[in-house]
Amino acid sequence: MHEVGIAASILDAVRQESAGRQPARPVKVGVRIGEMAGIDPDSLAFCFQALVKGSGLEPLELAIEPGELDFIYLELEEP
Amino acid sequence: MTRVPMEKKVLNENDLVAAGLRADFARHHVVALNLISSPGSGKTTLLERTLEAFDPSRRVAVLTGDIQTDVDAQRLARYGYPVRQITTAGACHLDARMIRRALEGWCLDDIDLLLIENVGNLVCPTSYDLGEARKIVLLSVPEGDEKPLKYPGIFFKSDLMVLTKVDLLPYVPFRLDAARANARSIHPEIEILEVSASTGAGLDGWLEWLEQLTKPEQKG
Repeated sequence: MHEVGIAASILDAVRQESAGRQPARPVKVGVRIGEMAGIDPDSLAFCFQALVKGSGLEPLELAIEPGELDFIYLELEEP
Repeated sequence: MTRVPMEKKVLNENDLVAAGLRADFARHHVVALNLISSPGSGKTTLLERTLEAFDPSRRVAVLTGDIQTDVDAQRLARYGYPVRQITTAGACHLDARMIRRALEGWCLDDIDLLLIENVGNLVCPTSYDLGEARKIVLLSVPEGDEKPLKYPGIFFKSDLMVLTKVDLLPYVPFRLDAARANARSIHPEIEILEVSASTGAGLDGWLEWLEQLTKPEQKG
């Protein structure tokens, strides 16, 4: 139910992290979600896709792996 | 391709606000409790019985969350302690920022125990830290003894499970032993109390639990 808020937080973090790294652009963001975090990975992926559209960050891939809830890495592509 | 490692938590914003609240509660010796359950399992009624039983000199405050209405705040305000309603207007849980806003104008030095009644929901409130010292999950016996298995997150994160409406046990197919075993299969250390707000059964145990929690940190 709150996955959309988490997806928005991920996008904010991506914006912050990539702001100082231009002209490299973010292409992939990795997050970890624990089993007991109460977050559904499919629902998060769905919300993330919906929010990325029109955000100016498109195309941006979301990689979800199991583990303690964390924003773990951001991949950037040099032009 | 460059890979930048991150340590930043996804729930960062809420966690930061919650950490600030927790630090403030610690500094001002406030014990904050986050009460979570399904709608209708008796959070407000348990709080009513609790406030009723407290000595009027106790320094207690209550925040109560609902999607709409201030019905709960009206019920709870009758006992003379400071009460504020948080109306989430659609959100299915309380978050740390709502608590921060609701506390504005209250002097934390005047509060020893802050009771926070979350929005009725066994799922979403689980993910939002409010800076509380303890999470408490209520499970009313008409809901069924399998709830801990169906909604493991909240039973895993709660320190205490309060089984409510136990006066209804003769009329509903609720197995106390199964409920206890189910909760402990998710969280072996969870404490368990049984209460009936209608008959008063078990309320002493609940009040004693609160007493133990607030005693060592009470202000002079």
